[in-house]
Amino acid sequence: MTRAELFEMFQRMATEIAEKDFSDVTEDSNIQELGLDSLSTLELVGAMERELDVQIPDEQLVGIQTVAQLLELVERRMAS
Amino acid sequence: MPNPQTLVEALYALPDGEERGFRFYGLDREERYYPYAAMRAEAERRAAFLAAAGLTKGDRVALLLPENHEFVLTFLGASVGGFVPVPMYPQATFKAIDAYLDILAHIVEAADVGAVVCMESNRDVMEKLEARPEMAGRRVLFAPEAFAGEPPPFERPHVSPEDLCFLQFTSGSTNKPKGVTVTHANLVANTTAFLGPDGLNRTPDDVGVGWLPLFHDMGLIGFVLGTLIVDLPVVLMQTAHFARMPRMWLELIGKHRGTITYAPNFAYELATKRVRDKDLEALDLSSLRVAGCGAEPIRAKTLLAFADKLAPTGFDAKAFLPSYGMAESCLAITFHPTGTDMIVDRVDAAAMRDGLARPAADDAADAIEIVSCGVGFPGHDVKVVDESGAARGEREVGEIVVRGPSVTEGYFRNAEATEAAIRDGWLHTGDLGYCADGNLYICGRIKDLIIINGANHYPQDIEWAIGELEGVRRGNVCAFSVVRDGTERLVVLAEANRGDAERLRGEIAKQVFSEFGLQVAEVAISPVGTLPKTSSGKHQRNKTRALFERGELTVHP
Repeated sequence: MTRAELFEMFQRMATEIAEKDFSDVTEDSNIQELGLDSLSTLELVGAMERELDVQIPDEQLVGIQTVAQLLELVERRMAS
Repeated sequence: MPNPQTLVEALYALPDGEERGFRFYGLDREERYYPYAAMRAEAERRAAFLAAAGLTKGDRVALLLPENHEFVLTFLGASVGGFVPVPMYPQATFKAIDAYLDILAHIVEAADVGAVVCMESNRDVMEKLEARPEMAGRRVLFAPEAFAGEPPPFERPHVSPEDLCFLQFTSGSTNKPKGVTVTHANLVANTTAFLGPDGLNRTPDDVGVGWLPLFHDMGLIGFVLGTLIVDLPVVLMQTAHFARMPRMWLELIGKHRGTITYAPNFAYELATKRVRDKDLEALDLSSLRVAGCGAEPIRAKTLLAFADKLAPTGFDAKAFLPSYGMAESCLAITFHPTGTDMIVDRVDAAAMRDGLARPAADDAADAIEIVSCGVGFPGHDVKVVDESGAARGEREVGEIVVRGPSVTEGYFRNAEATEAAIRDGWLHTGDLGYCADGNLYICGRIKDLIIINGANHYPQDIEWAIGELEGVRRGNVCAFSVVRDGTERLVVLAEANRGDAERLRGEIAKQVFSEFGLQVAEVAISPVGTLPKTSSGKHQRNKTRALFERGELTVHP
């Protein structure tokens, strides 16, 4: 899966979970500013884990701020 | 059902053998099974290591243990040793650490703990906490490493019913949570009430399945301490996994033939939303006889939607058990009877604003639906009173007060807060409600608590955080919740100059998210001096909310 595909998946899932438009989001967007609350963010992580069959440990999520950081973490977990 | 007088007695009365015990699904999603005897043996070992770390009977020990089995085994170790566990909540993801450290520092000091037990994954937080003056002289232990190897010799002390069992820190009205004292007698009284014949009426075939956090009463007593006291085997999954995979909760109920589960309203809503039609075939909820609901306002529509969606899995809507409770009463105050349809009261919206729960006309479009939380337990009294303490009549709204053996003796080393909450033996809950046909209905909170996604938020905390922002007039911020589409949503009003309005709307939303993990549904900036205040300068939240709802508040464009 390419990075662009991963980003599209992020957008699609975020739209589904938060029921709002995420077409303006970029990889540099701060997750906190997207209007996703903490529960929705965890749901989103869960949805990506399921779709990609990876597991992201909680402690690695602490400190994640941008969409790019989250996608990099997902990519690292997919590679390992 | 065994009849122990303390948690420790209960632990030693539990049957040996492999069949009965606790099953943990850990953060690594691996399954770990502990028969009761193994839990008891591990608790004894941990008691010995805690004593060797310098704790003596009655000393408090804070637990910051995100892994459920580590939490439970260390809690029981502390109980066996005669120490008093103080659960602390783990750091939430995507949240600012400073506010979190303030709370931890406050708790270790207010509870005057001798030690903190945490895990390797908390090391960063713990190092920052240890740099604070409140931690001076307190030990830090890492589980499970601190409990490895041969335990030192240890003689277990006698633990009496009147001894403290644990301290439950509530979210409190400020950043300074208060420690509710829970004695073994309180715990046994409440457990006997809600799991005994007048409550869930536990049978030997029952299995509890839960994911509620163990640092709160509903998860801790409902799924660990209470269940141990009555010998009710439990399957526990991690709270973080529920948020990510609501379906796992339902899968575990099917897999382990769960009969009892519990969740706040939002969780039923989330599960309804997230479970796909194609998942239904693999789910089996036919074993479930109790699907409890509590901890936040209960919405009939949410529960009925869940029942509809999950009907193909054998779920029976009679399993729903709306309930009411709070940490100051250990856990449970009233329960709806098991195996019966929930009762929904439709009341007239206009009359409710005047404090009267008058039944609405059948065709009233704006009727308010309130779910019955059932009745109190034998040996306990529940009533609704007015401001003078006099009992209110049938269908008259007032403050709910409670008396009985489950009720706390007070907040730990905080006489002022205790005197405010417990007057003439009655616990004043701060919740508004009414009685009708013997059932208790909850209407709202005197204290304006904001409950979103099962978490309590006090408006004051949010207002203070916003007051820190440049351009906001400190003390001229008002946070409250409004109900939109049946869900509680946060609204923030702040006074500022017009030139700052646009910038502040963004900054306020960001600040509230980073400090509380909350999304603000609406931020409005009003001209300086427009938010209503009392003569003593306190703001009038209810009045402000009413003005806002009617669109009568002046706001900057």
